[in-house]
Amino acid sequence: MNWNTALPLMVLGSSLLPGLMIFFLSEEHVVARTSLNLASAILKIVLIGGMFWGMLHGHHYESRLALLPGLDLVLRAGPLSMLFVLLSAGLWLVTTVYAIGYLEESPYRSRFFGFFSLCVTATVGIALAGNLMTFLVFYELLTLCTYPLIVHRGTEVARKAGRTYLIYTIFGGALLLLSSVWLYTLAGTLEFTDRGFLSGLDTSLHPTLILIFALLIAGLGVKAALFPLHGWLPLAMVAPAPVSALLHAVAVVKAGAFGIVRVVYDVYGIEFATDLGLTLPLAILASATIIYGSLRALFQDELKRRLAFSTVSQVSYIVLGIAVAGPVATIGGLIHLVHQGVQKITLFFCAGNLAETLGIHKISEMNGVAWRMPWTMAAFTIGAFGMIGAPPLAGFFSKWYLARGALDAEQDWVILILAGSSILNAAYFLPILYIAWFKKPPDSWPAERSFGRNETSWALLIPTVVTAMMTLALGLLASAPFSLLEWASQIVNRGFAQ
Amino acid sequence: MNGIVSGFLLVSALGLPLLLAFPPLHRRLPWPVHIALLPAIALVFIPVDLCIELPWFLLGTGLGLDAGSRWWLAISVMMWGVIAIFLLPPNGRNVHHPLTSLFLLSLTGQMGAVLATDMVSFFALSTLMGYACIGLLLADADETIRRAGRIYLVLLILADIILFEAMVMAEAISEDLGFATLARVISLSNSLDLYLSIVLVGFAFKVGLWPLHIWLPLAYATARPATALMLWVGPVATGLLGVLRCLPLGEVSAPMPGGALLFLGAVTILYVIFFCFKRAQRRQQPAYFATIVTGSFVMGLGAGLSDPALWSGYGDLAPIFVFTMGLVLAIMIVSFEWSMAKGEISGANKVDRTLLESWFEAFVHWGRRAGIDTLPDFRALWLARRDGLRQKRIWQRAFDAGEYFLQRWSFALTLFLLLVIVTVVLLFLDAAAVL
Repeated sequence: MNWNTALPLMVLGSSLLPGLMIFFLSEEHVVARTSLNLASAILKIVLIGGMFWGMLHGHHYESRLALLPGLDLVLRAGPLSMLFVLLSAGLWLVTTVYAIGYLEESPYRSRFFGFFSLCVTATVGIALAGNLMTFLVFYELLTLCTYPLIVHRGTEVARKAGRTYLIYTIFGGALLLLSSVWLYTLAGTLEFTDRGFLSGLDTSLHPTLILIFALLIAGLGVKAALFPLHGWLPLAMVAPAPVSALLHAVAVVKAGAFGIVRVVYDVYGIEFATDLGLTLPLAILASATIIYGSLRALFQDELKRRLAFSTVSQVSYIVLGIAVAGPVATIGGLIHLVHQGVQKITLFFCAGNLAETLGIHKISEMNGVAWRMPWTMAAFTIGAFGMIGAPPLAGFFSKWYLARGALDAEQDWVILILAGSSILNAAYFLPILYIAWFKKPPDSWPAERSFGRNETSWALLIPTVVTAMMTLALGLLASAPFSLLEWASQIVNRGFAQ
Repeated sequence: MNGIVSGFLLVSALGLPLLLAFPPLHRRLPWPVHIALLPAIALVFIPVDLCIELPWFLLGTGLGLDAGSRWWLAISVMMWGVIAIFLLPPNGRNVHHPLTSLFLLSLTGQMGAVLATDMVSFFALSTLMGYACIGLLLADADETIRRAGRIYLVLLILADIILFEAMVMAEAISEDLGFATLARVISLSNSLDLYLSIVLVGFAFKVGLWPLHIWLPLAYATARPATALMLWVGPVATGLLGVLRCLPLGEVSAPMPGGALLFLGAVTILYVIFFCFKRAQRRQQPAYFATIVTGSFVMGLGAGLSDPALWSGYGDLAPIFVFTMGLVLAIMIVSFEWSMAKGEISGANKVDRTLLESWFEAFVHWGRRAGIDTLPDFRALWLARRDGLRQKRIWQRAFDAGEYFLQRWSFALTLFLLLVIVTVVLLFLDAAAVL
């Protein structure tokens, strides 16, 4: 085993081993647990940075372990996988810092951080998966690792949310397993390949391939929260704020959306999928989810629930970008994978800050809160405007490429969906900002904790401000060298015939 | 001129106000808005065209200053200077004003829009300005101004969405959103009429053209002079600059949109003169004056679109016109404030209705009476409306029920899951046999 074959395994192990070690630490070992958490998060970023640097210099990183006869567990670094792996590793670091502050005096922290690390391991495995079987293995591992985090608080509501989550995701996983096996019987391989591996199959198999595609999308759509498979997501917001951030921005919904990208690009191939007529129904489904999620968000008074429905809507932009089936729209979808993650994690951090510092859970309790917590609400404002798609924030560029791609692909109706969605986004985010910045604050807050001269704990505030700054930087420096846009363009060029 | 110096001035004209918008920075400085204006003042007095490319910024952009935009910059600097004086409290050096950050963000956006050389950066910076202006309106204690802010917010969102579509369309046509080439390429496109319509509707929302101007008099009713001046130099004048930049004026003859603009401009002016101006409060009169200026400008644009030769001959006067009118408006607002402070005039100005207005109201009153008399159950209309509202609630309940059903459907899902697992096992066996 040389460096090039070992590095993907090391990236995986950098969170797996510390995660397993954390399980054995008692509650009192705060320093050891915190050090392990932070060291592993930093080590992972360093290893991924090294892998990225090597890729730029022509190195090829692939680890292959025998899993079943004819089916290997493959971890491979490619442009698309690096996009997702960098996103998850980067956001994991800030979420870890946040979680350390958030759970400062909570019980069962070792259990929490153990599963937290395993979740990131599973996400990295999903990102680096070189075939559908590897993807499936880590996809299911992610389901099992996130369940304990959702039920972490142990309340009846949390357990109920956990049960719902399990039912949905195991159902999705079973569909994914079924369709993967079926696909294997037809194609004899599940290796992810640029422009897919199915276009050479006999035309008589096309109806079967369409059915398998529907099963794959249904299986992945559960985690991607595609309508009507999204029911678990708003319930899962009972979890602690770092878990919500993990579910909505780093791991779970992103794994579903990423899986759809993989299926469309590396299993079917975008051109073959379009020839089979699969992309238009997918685009319609994504559009329905975008509008439905936004409409549902409008009626929620609970802040995290509103954000959860917003995720239902926003994640479908990624699917829409892929389904519009043009290079420019695909760039829009891919950059939204990152943009949505950064923006949504900011919003969930802010929701967590409000809950932890002032006991605020509902929007109706947020009157004038910006004057009590200006940094948190400034970050929330940036995240919210990013979600609306206001320039020059990150979300604007996602919408720009989606709309531009829709015009290129002669699917003008998508622009109407984007316009409608932007109006709805504004309708459910701007009232929050109005209430927070322009209403008179109450005499007392529901459950205020004092942090001296600071508005809240530094461990909660710094990750929030950092992710808000990332939202701003991703927009302002959109065309800088080595930018996300450049990277997404490279990925797309591999997927489309020149 | 040295490229580094000009680049520094152009970037700092935006960067300095943006930096000073952070409260910890401007709290420590005397006259922060005036300090923020220094690079822009220097730019006004540099008599050469300047340009800097920023390929890494947004979608690849640049900042520049030519003869036309220098007039715009001059009026902006003058207006912001006066605004900053009104921001100062009477005791002089205690300079922190709670809304200074929002003023400085508005200034950044407005200056940036003037200096922008492409559509995306213009859009981005004018949006920053627009939302900061809304913040200023909503922060006001007066409910009328807050209402104006809410109305403007809705109009701004709609305007931004419409202009977003226009930009996407322009990029699809020209691949380059720089103002230098945009007009020429757009004028050759088959989609010219659609593009013109979208741009004009978008900017009509943005600048408050009749009949979308209602927020402006509301905002002026009790606005502080600083806010009143800012509303002119910000949303209105910058919107006019935007429409000037985005239209292919002098390049193409478009009689239909041109005629529509001429009509709309004329209607705006007549409406304001006959219906609004006389009965307006003194504080509102500058708002109506601004609306008349907008109407006149729109008529000029209409003439330019109808006859490109006319625009080629007189188009350069547009910035001078805006500069002059801005000056008049500033004098108007300052003199009103001065007179009111001295007690020579009051803010209110109750004037009898005009004849035309009385006729119109009588007509509406007669129509209402006729309707209720002939249809005693006219109130059914209200009931129907209420039903409509109830329908919304039914929809909401339907959504809730749907999700509840999906969440409770665990038994059926589990059965289905078992079925799936059995199928998978069978398929595995089958696959093993085949392979």
